[in-house]
Amino acid sequence: MNKPNAIEAVGLTKYYGDFLAVDHINFTVGKGEIFGFLGPNGAGKSTTIRMLTGISSPTEGMASIMGFDIVKQPVEAKSIMGIVPDISNIYTELTAKENLIFTGKLYGISKSKREQRAEELLKYFDLYDRRDEKVEGFSRGMKRRVCIAMALVNDSKILYLDEPTSGLDVKSVRSIREIIRELNAKGLTVFLTTHNIEEASRMCDRIAIINRGKISVIDTPERIKSAMKISCSIEIAFKETRTGTQEMLKQLSSATLVQKRGDKFLLKTENTAQTLKQLFVRIEESGLEPISLNTLNASLEDAFLRLTGEKMKKEIIHKRRQRK
Amino acid sequence: MTRISLLDELKRSWAITVKDIKIYYLRPPALMFGILFPVALFFTFTVGRNMPPERLIPVLSAQTVFWSASSIGPVAIPMERRMRTFERFLSAPISLISILWGKMMAGFIFGFGITSLASGIGLIWTGRLVSDPVALVFGIGLSSMVYSAMGILFASIPTASPGEVIVPLNFVRIPLMFVSGMFIPIENMPAIGITAAFLSPLSHTLDLLKQGTGSSSYFGVITNLGVLSIWLILFLYIGQLFHKIIMKRE
Repeated sequence: MNKPNAIEAVGLTKYYGDFLAVDHINFTVGKGEIFGFLGPNGAGKSTTIRMLTGISSPTEGMASIMGFDIVKQPVEAKSIMGIVPDISNIYTELTAKENLIFTGKLYGISKSKREQRAEELLKYFDLYDRRDEKVEGFSRGMKRRVCIAMALVNDSKILYLDEPTSGLDVKSVRSIREIIRELNAKGLTVFLTTHNIEEASRMCDRIAIINRGKISVIDTPERIKSAMKISCSIEIAFKETRTGTQEMLKQLSSATLVQKRGDKFLLKTENTAQTLKQLFVRIEESGLEPISLNTLNASLEDAFLRLTGEKMKKEIIHKRRQRK
Repeated sequence: MTRISLLDELKRSWAITVKDIKIYYLRPPALMFGILFPVALFFTFTVGRNMPPERLIPVLSAQTVFWSASSIGPVAIPMERRMRTFERFLSAPISLISILWGKMMAGFIFGFGITSLASGIGLIWTGRLVSDPVALVFGIGLSSMVYSAMGILFASIPTASPGEVIVPLNFVRIPLMFVSGMFIPIENMPAIGITAAFLSPLSHTLDLLKQGTGSSSYFGVITNLGVLSIWLILFLYIGQLFHKIIMKRE
């Protein structure tokens, strides 16, 4: 008999009235995998997570967690998962320890075990010294850590993380990513939704991109990039820029685009190796002296934009401008 | 894989009750509608009316249990929706009915505690004795459960603001006070008024409290207990049905 997947969604569908939020999606997540779930706002990410965690009922289709149907066997399925939503839904009126103990009670963990588990988690998440303080005084990063700790009280086999690093400072982001990696290394399956494509690219074994309720692609980050046949870039700077250098570079047959950017030239290509060979020949012939050369690979962001369309592209450009 | 036993469900449900007691009992809307409002209403309708103590105590106790027990659910559930902590219950291995039972018990304890205190003070103040302790205990206890379940039913309104639950609830609570013999004794009502009083759970609370403090029940203690039990089952059943419908929509 085949071992069940950690998560399996078959024809999962959700309607809100006449609006189709999630449209017959199918995917599996293997045990011990970090699975990224990407998509623009309103694509159906959160609705999918809500269905997978039993918060919302699917209109059609089914989802199973370690082989347990989330609708027909909710108790079994919910006992082995932990959820960290996009906002830290903790009881700010309670202390960090009380939050963990309460979660332990909700999962029916015995008193001695929940006390022990709470102590372990408080120490692991570096919250032990402030365990008896009310959570309302905690920073966002600390609240996030309390929230993740609460999701692990029941010794979860699967952890759902909805935008886990959103709105956190750099230090907290790094700490939470490190925690996720460590937990995964111990065998925890992670289902991660994020807007941060770089985060997904660095952390996930596989990624699904959802757009308008449908899954556009599921694969490893690298295979998605290469399957998209997205152009790579070569950036080169010369000791001395002469008139006609740009024209010379435009003659490279494998370069699809040549742009001058400040004191550098940017060459777009779908065959980096071929372009580099041609480039070195031209440099030799022209006697130009290169002082820097960078090859820039296609990013997952490019693949994401290609799959999710122009609307998302505008959103990202807008966000980049805001960051600047 | 073992299924959860009833005892386990009750333990998890109790954890919700204890947590609600810690967090919501001292919230301003709970204090306002659970304590201040019934006390203010009591004085509004009794001061200057020379109401005899045998009517005064049941009216005070009935109003207190009615308002206080029905005030916790409408505060706790919308606030939990706002903080998205209600989702914690929905994603935990506990049934919806146990979640609502836990919430209801928080309202029950609030109503039972405050009403017992108010009734005790009232009885000592007026020098009246408890004539039927069983009727008095059920009058406060069973009624606390009924009104707490009523609050839970109204809290199924899908909103994150307690005000949006409390306002429609008041549209039911206030008229009920006028048809339940609080201000006009049931025996002085016309036939249609008596029918309306029979259908109102508050009349049966008042009746039980009258029985408990030296007067007699108009409809009879067995009828009072039966009608209140039916209302409790109805409120719980409809409440969980509405919560399920909302879950399906969300």
